[in-house]
Amino acid sequence: MNGIKIFVVEDDSFYGKSLHHHLSLNPEHEVETFTTGKDVLDNLYRKPSIITLDYSLPDISGKEVLSKIKEFDQDIPVIIISGQEDVSTAVDLLKHGAYEYIVKDNDTKDRLWNTIVNIKEKIQLKNELSILRDEVNTKYEFSNIKGNSQILKKIFGLIDKAANTNITVSITGETGTGKELVAKAIHYNSARKKKPLITVNVAAIPKELIESELFGHEKGAFTGAVAKRIGKFEEANGGTILLDEIGEMDLHMQTKLLRVLQEKEISRIGGNEVIKINVRVIVATHKKLAEEVKKGNFREDLYYRLLGLPIELPPLRDRGNDILVLAKYFADEFAKENGMKDVSFTAEAQDKLLNYSYPGNVRELKAIVELAIVMAGNTKIDAEDIAFNSTNSMTDFLFSETTLKEYNRKIMKHFLEKYDNNVLLVAKKLDIGKSTIYRMIKNGEIEI
Amino acid sequence: MTEKIYDLNQLEQLSGGSEEFIKSMIDTFIEHTPEQVDKLKESYNNNDLKSMGAIAHKIKPSLDLMGIKEVYDDIRKIELYGKNEEDNEELSTLIEKVYTVCNTAFQQLKADFNI
Repeated sequence: MNGIKIFVVEDDSFYGKSLHHHLSLNPEHEVETFTTGKDVLDNLYRKPSIITLDYSLPDISGKEVLSKIKEFDQDIPVIIISGQEDVSTAVDLLKHGAYEYIVKDNDTKDRLWNTIVNIKEKIQLKNELSILRDEVNTKYEFSNIKGNSQILKKIFGLIDKAANTNITVSITGETGTGKELVAKAIHYNSARKKKPLITVNVAAIPKELIESELFGHEKGAFTGAVAKRIGKFEEANGGTILLDEIGEMDLHMQTKLLRVLQEKEISRIGGNEVIKINVRVIVATHKKLAEEVKKGNFREDLYYRLLGLPIELPPLRDRGNDILVLAKYFADEFAKENGMKDVSFTAEAQDKLLNYSYPGNVRELKAIVELAIVMAGNTKIDAEDIAFNSTNSMTDFLFSETTLKEYNRKIMKHFLEKYDNNVLLVAKKLDIGKSTIYRMIKNGEIEI
Repeated sequence: MTEKIYDLNQLEQLSGGSEEFIKSMIDTFIEHTPEQVDKLKESYNNNDLKSMGAIAHKIKPSLDLMGIKEVYDDIRKIELYGKNEEDNEELSTLIEKVYTVCNTAFQQLKADFNI
């Protein structure tokens, strides 16, 4: 690490000089001395890494300088160096954000040195953290949600609105439509981005454990609780919690969750302490919660509590040209990761991609594209390189290129299977005479 | 030559071996501190105990660093009297002592370092 800028504020030029010299012994330190409070405040824009502040300055009191510095940038560590050993002043200053309070005596320079070493370690960690955080942030910038469709633009608008407030957000959408990605985009574009985003998949946790998972427990709260455990809500404090598959939560737990959301406080299982929590809640589900409410599987009051800002993610098949945008994006990513050249799709391949229904949505598209690149073995992906996993897909069906008679037979068979060989119903669905079906059965074209 | 009132041990330690630094610190000390010591006495004579305490507080670290050990406790006592705005007999003795000792130190330093 280089270039630690240290501002020394000291009105006594003799003492200031000695501090200056002492701190300059480390060539990494770039030390500047100021003799008045005004002087240092006027120079804050030059972003010092550390400030040492004499408590008794001629113009402004040390406390005031401290609070002005903290107003300017509360992350600058301020070390108070004072001639007086007054405990209450020291405590007061530390409360107001001073990093350390050092008394002027024979040990001053050693203590100051140690303090600065500590701060430097902290700054380094902070820098690393902010680099990592930036990386995460760019990962969840809006631009990382790919697509140009109108429907997606509307969703961007909603994400933006959600990010600017603390409103509860409920995300619905089929599997693979990007519910978690949207939750991340909201969190990492909100004021809470420096605090954690905690994801809990409700469906993945046995219902006996979910309460302790969400709210934590004290040691000995139940058999097997050998140590205290912090719950996910507490972990997410100040940040965001994503409750994925909220539709799977059982009714008993729903009651508890409702209480927590209303009171904004939790207590760990087996504990008496009430812990205030400040957490934005995002819920996601592939189920239609309104229907679950009607069926009695989901509490109505909780439903309204959680509804907040609803974001409904469209299935990929409704996003039109986004399919190609995404396919190209995944292809480029895959090629880059595997050190391959630019990949493109033939017109036939694009056609094939556009005509598929993607029950697994974006996640499925990604898998399909990656497999296609591997199968193609070159940079041009053709229709035949693309294989769909779902067995009864329309595109596979059409691409089988058979006779119309054979198509008829397949369609008929599909419908009969679907409707339990109810010939009358199938005839009605397909708007054909029932005799047509009977004739095919009689001819042995189809079996029931 | 009489015994040295000052002791540069601490300053030398701090200097990390830089003669230049030691010289510059002594220059600064001689430039500013005598004036302050005069003011210390002056404010006592004017019964301005508050200013007296403040000056004592200010010059205390310099006197420490220059190793003028004889007044180590005295300057602290003066500071405390000033802070409490309390006058008593001891104070006048202390002021007189600090004044004399410091001025001797100034003389010695000036002579030894050709200032």
